[in-house]
Parts: sequence; structure tokens; C-alpha cells
Amino acid sequence: MSLVALSELLGATVRDATGTVRGRVREIAVAPQDHPTRIAFLIVRTADGERILPVESLKNAGVTVRAHTEAADWEVYTPSDGVLLLKRDLLDQQIIDVHGRKVVRVNDVELETTPVNSHVMLDVVSVDVGARGAIRRLSKGLMPSFTLRALLERIPPRVIPWQFVDLIETDPARRVKLKIAYRGLAQLHPADIADIVEDLPPAEREAVFETIDEEVAAETLEELDPDVKVAIVESLDKDRAADIVEEMDPDAAADLLDELPEEQSGEILKEMDPEERQEVTQLLEFGEHTAAGRMTTEFVAVPDTASVDDAIDALKTFEGSREALATIYLTGAGQKLMGAVPLVKIAISPPTRRLAELSEEFVACAPDTPQSEVAALFDKYNLITLAVVDEHGRLAGIITADDVITMLRHSH
Amino acid sequence: MTLPREWRTRIALVLAVVGPGFITANVDNDAGGIATYSVAGAQFGYTLLWTMIPITIALVIVQEMSSRMGAVTGKGLSDLIREEFGLRATFLLMIALVVTNFGNVASEFAGIASSFEVWNASQYAVVRIAASKYVVVPIAALVVWGVVVHGTYNSVEKVFLSASAFYICYIVSGVLAHPDWKAAALSTVTRPESAGFRNYGYLSMIIGLAGTTIAPWMQFYLQASIVEKGVTARQYKASRLDVIVGCVFAAVVAWFIVVACAATLHTAGMYDIKDGVQAAEALRPLAGEYAYLLFAAGLFNASLFAACILPISTAYAVCEGLGLESGLDKRFEEAPAFYWLYTALIVFGAGVVLIPQFPLFRVMVLSQVVNGVLLPFVLIFVILLVNDRELMGSYVNSRWYNVVSWLTVGIMIALTIAMAIAQARS
Repeated sequence: MSLVALSELLGATVRDATGTVRGRVREIAVAPQDHPTRIAFLIVRTADGERILPVESLKNAGVTVRAHTEAADWEVYTPSDGVLLLKRDLLDQQIIDVHGRKVVRVNDVELETTPVNSHVMLDVVSVDVGARGAIRRLSKGLMPSFTLRALLERIPPRVIPWQFVDLIETDPARRVKLKIAYRGLAQLHPADIADIVEDLPPAEREAVFETIDEEVAAETLEELDPDVKVAIVESLDKDRAADIVEEMDPDAAADLLDELPEEQSGEILKEMDPEERQEVTQLLEFGEHTAAGRMTTEFVAVPDTASVDDAIDALKTFEGSREALATIYLTGAGQKLMGAVPLVKIAISPPTRRLAELSEEFVACAPDTPQSEVAALFDKYNLITLAVVDEHGRLAGIITADDVITMLRHSH
Repeated sequence: MTLPREWRTRIALVLAVVGPGFITANVDNDAGGIATYSVAGAQFGYTLLWTMIPITIALVIVQEMSSRMGAVTGKGLSDLIREEFGLRATFLLMIALVVTNFGNVASEFAGIASSFEVWNASQYAVVRIAASKYVVVPIAALVVWGVVVHGTYNSVEKVFLSASAFYICYIVSGVLAHPDWKAAALSTVTRPESAGFRNYGYLSMIIGLAGTTIAPWMQFYLQASIVEKGVTARQYKASRLDVIVGCVFAAVVAWFIVVACAATLHTAGMYDIKDGVQAAEALRPLAGEYAYLLFAAGLFNASLFAACILPISTAYAVCEGLGLESGLDKRFEEAPAFYWLYTALIVFGAGVVLIPQFPLFRVMVLSQVVNGVLLPFVLIFVILLVNDRELMGSYVNSRWYNVVSWLTVGIMIALTIAMAIAQARS
């Protein structure tokens, strides 16, 4: 087993079974449908056109490449969408380093050669994004290869193992053929995905949002810079955009749709689930910079006659954001707000205890309260959540502390 | 009630036009620009005015290509060069860009030093010391470094931009100097005499004029700004207008600087400008004895504006092309190469100006000649990229466009070779 760099293989002379030089390596191909890391074939530029040299016919692969087949048996190369060409698709391109959570540019690719029976196998093991790969490529051909190798030994490597690499492919058809799924990316925290996405060009951003899971996409969208967020939603197909918007918190969804051109937000709303659509439309009717514009309509409310046990049941079935769980609201006849119980009190009380007994003095505001006053209320009463109550005393929604932090950061 | 809304639309329209294209074109009239146009007018009178129309056409075309590429691909110029032409080509080009822009940064600091020169002859020692370049330049360097790193640049940009209205002074002064309008207009549109092309000074001045008007950093900066602003192919039409308006404005200002200098300095027999005090004479018809004050304020603003933009845009272009971490949102340890390159450009750019007896004005002009020499190489990459169908789709150049742009490349290379030959002979 030994490592060989892509830049060393590219341009290497190729000898066939007779030992005659037949051409030079032009490209190295992986067929992801067959194997995610294994090299399928080399493309060799010979005197009579480009030929395919399957990896099974390789005797060794290094500064020179030897095959144990005759050049006459090598098939003519015809371009195909389904293969990943390492030089064209990887070298010098941007990739996502899932482990390091950032976008990086590929300086070189490291391959591993393993002898099996009569031939060698070649596998992609990592991409080089550091100075070593860069210097290797810059000084290739300017000094003897052994001197270069000795020099490069001294440079600490900066490589990303292949399993942590997510390639970015903007063409959807090709993405499917190449089996690119952004699995690694989707496992990151949405805030990290948002940072990565902000570093990508628009077409690549769109590609990521077309493939990641809707729920992850929704959370990521909430974390993005407002301008970027709008640009991405505009570029997406309306069905897809509606699917993602449905997964967002209604308040964030309303904010987003508010910033889109009316025509587009209308189309997205049309594609949405009726229930979600109603919530979002309601929020859209209030001004963006008021309590109602900032509130979410997904909160936990139980009748004021309920017990601790009932509250726990309500928590179990709640599908909204975790931030909204901090307080359980008690409502009387006609959804009228009667009380508020912090989650902590429920956790430490016996199951049969009546919630009304645990209820605390609560703070509420009207839907048209300006957002600056909302922030002042949070500050004054050290709130985690704030109830928004309409003119009939009904609980319309709640504002959570994380919304206030976002709001404050954006108003400066 | 209708009036405010109408005004709002108007202001919105004006602001829409003052986009990246207009800003880039304005920064283009920096210390090197003012110096080169002044020297061209003083030394050659109206005889170089014929260059202005072809240079403007080339400028519009080049800037339009860069902004189109930014809007269609959403990527910076150095990113595209790296992805399409590989590491080696990118590396060599980036070295050339750093060297050239180092010269430009030095010329901006020379401009700052030069704008304080008149007080160097003050009778008060305190004024002499406070206005000496050993005090002014380091302070300016610190201000530039801080303003950009601490993110206050965006608010400062508007100040610089409004102060750029100073250029109108050259237009007014040009008119007040009673130039020979007929001669000026005629030499703008007539073919130049061929005898000049064997003269080193004449050739290098043409390259300097082209190099300062179509500076290589502009393509990198404009494309990056378009990407940063999130302009897409669909909204591209507004950006194109922004680019054209900016370029034409910059060219009109340049024309008037040359005319103002020709009508005052050249007519008075001051052919060889050595410092800002002499260059300021061009503004005397407008400002009388305050001419220098006006010139100094304008030069100072233009230099500081460009000094804020050049080092940071160079650092971005180089780091993105070479795949190094970049961005002001990163900490120093996260993006060391980016911050070091940025800091080094400012420290050394300001540092060389501090060398005693440093020929401020000559360096400002010379750095623009270096721009002109690098220009065709950057243009070759731009033209090849913008014609790549895989990248640009239906937004590739039309044939007519390609003819003009290749012609620009050819002429710039021919001029550079001619200049080298003329220099070897003299």
C-alpha cells in the first residue's frame, strides 16, 4: 500500500504490456454507482485518441503507469455524465469539509494503491487542501521528483478524509447519477450549515437546498442572512419552497414571505398545507415590527382545570420549536389566557397537582406592541417567553427569547 | 402628497445607479489617476486627448464583462481563473497582481503625502512637522487599516463618494481656464501623428493613461462587489447601466483634468510636474490662491478612498484564488494569510513612501504604467472565461464585443512592446 497524488499521476507516461510508452494520463475516473471511492479507469491520451485504461489492467501506478494489456485492446473513451472525473470535477474546485464545517478549495487528491492478485487497486483516500498539495503542483516539473518528495515530507499535511468530503454538483441530473446526497452536511447543526451555505455561490446554494431534508433546510434557512435567505427561496422551485416554508416556525415563515415579492409569496402560500397557510397568513397581516409579527402561533396551552399529568401529555404531542416549551399556558373559556406555568415547576411537581395552583403572575402584551417595547418587557421581567393577547384577552401567540435576540441583532 | 413619493422614486433611482460600477469607476480616479492625467495634460497638452474615446470604450467593455460574469456565475474573478485554468496560472497571476497593487497602494500613500506638501514650506515648525509625510502617512495607514478591519468602512464609503464630487472642480476649472475648445475637441477625435509612437515618454504615457483608466484591480474588485451584492443574471440590466454611467463619468472627469492641465500648465510652459503644488496650478482659474487647498483636499480624499479599497480587495482576490481562508468575519488566527497580506500591503505601501527624497509624483505615474503592462494578461483570462458557454450559457460575448476586446488586448501588448523597445533605444 502506498499513497500517490493525483497531480503525480496526471501527465504520467503510460506503458503497455510490451513496455512501450503509449501515452500520458489525462484523467482519472470514479464510477460512484459501482463503488464510492474506487478508481474505475484512467483516461490515457495516446497518439490515436483518448483511450480507457481499466484499473484491472494496471500493473502499477506511480510516476509511470504500467498496464498488463496491449494498447490495441484499450477502448476508445466517450464522455459520460455518470463518472466523476477527478481533475475536472475535484481539482481546484470548492468542496464542503463536513468535519471542519467550512468550504475549502482542493489543491490535490491523494490516492492509495493496493496490490490485489495480478493488478493494483486505486482508491481515493483524501483531498489535500493545504500548502503541501499546492507546492507539489507548483513545483512539478521544476525539480526532480525525488527532491520534491523529500521537500514535501517536511510540510505538515492538511488533508480531509474522503468520507468527510461533500462535493457540490449543480446539475440535478448529474447529481443523481453521481449519488451526491450531502449526507454529511445534513448532519451538521443548522447554524453551521448556514455558515457554509453563505460561503457558496448562488447555484451551489440552490443545489444544497434542493437535496437536504426539508426540516433541516427550514432550520438552516432561519439561520441565514435575510438577503441570502430571500435569494435562495426565490431560486427554488415553488413546490420545494412551500415544503421548506411549511417546516419553518410560523413567525419565521411569515417574516420570510413578507420579504419576498408578493407574486412569489402568493405562489408559495398556495402550495402550502391549508392549516400552516392560515397561521402564516394571520401573522402576515400584522406589521413585521410588532409583537404579532414576531410571535409564533405554535405554543403549549392546556385548560386551566388540567393537572401536571395533562401538561406532560400536551408536551409529548407538541410539534413546535423547543424554545416554545419553556412555559405552559393555561386558558379558560374561549381561549382566554388565565395563567402560565414554567416547565421547571411541572418537572418537580407531583402528577396530580392542579396546574392552576402552580400558575405564576404572567406578563402579556397586545398584538400591536412595537418590537422595541417587547424587548423592554423581556429585559425588565427577565422573560423566556411572552404571551401575546388580543383585545378579548385570548392567547394569540407567544414570543420566545431567541426571537428577541435575533430581533435586537438585526435592528442594530 | 404626490411630491414626496415622486422624490422618493427619484432618490431611489439615483441610488440604484450608484452601485458597484459607479463606485469602482470613481475609485479609478485615484492618486495615480489624477497624477497621470495631470502629467499627460501638462507635458503633451491636447495631443493625448485622442486616447480618451478608445480608452473609454475599452473601459466600458471590460467592466461590463466583469460585472456580467459576476452576475451570471456568482463567483469572483480569481475563483473562476482558479477553477478553469488551474493553480499555476492563478499563482503567477496573483503574484503579478500583488506586485502591481503594491505599486498602486504606494501611489495612494504618495498621494496622501503629496496633498500635504504645500505646508512643508510653512514658516511655523509645528505645521511643517504635522504636515510632513513622516507624520501624515503613518496616521493615514493606521486609519485605513482600522476602518476596514473594524467594519466601519461601509458607512465611510458614502463620505468618500460624496467627497468625490470634488472632480466637478476640474470641469469648472477647465471651463474657466478658457482652453482652446476647438483644438481640444479636434484632437479628441482626430488620428494622432505617428511620429510620437517612437518616443518612449509618449508611449509610456499612453500605457499609463490606459493602465490608470482600465486598472487590473478594477476587474477583480467590480466582479467581487457584484457577487457580494447578490446581483443575479435577471437583475443584470440595472447593473449594466450602473457600469456604463460610472465609466462615462470617470472618462469625462479624466478628459477635463487633461484639458485643465493643458490649458494652464502646458500653456504656461510647465511641462514637467514634480509635485502636487505644481499640479494644483490647474485649479487656479477656479480657486485662485486657494487652488492648492482644493487640489489637496480632492487628492487626499481620492487617495484615502482608494487606499481603503485596494489592499483589502487584493487580499480577497489572492486568498480566494489560492484557496486560503479569507474574510473580515474571520479572526486573525483563522485567516492568517489574509490578514498578513492585507497588513503587509499597507505597511510596505506606506513604508516606501517614507524613504527620504522619494519621488512621489513619478511613482504615482509609474505605478499606472505597470498597471497597463499587466492589463492585457488579466483581460485574456476575462475574455476566455466570459466566452465559456459552460460557465456563461447564453450570456457569452457577441462577436462584435470579442473583436473590440481582443483588439484592446492586442493594442496594449503592442504598446508595451513598443515602449520596451523605445526604452532600450534611449
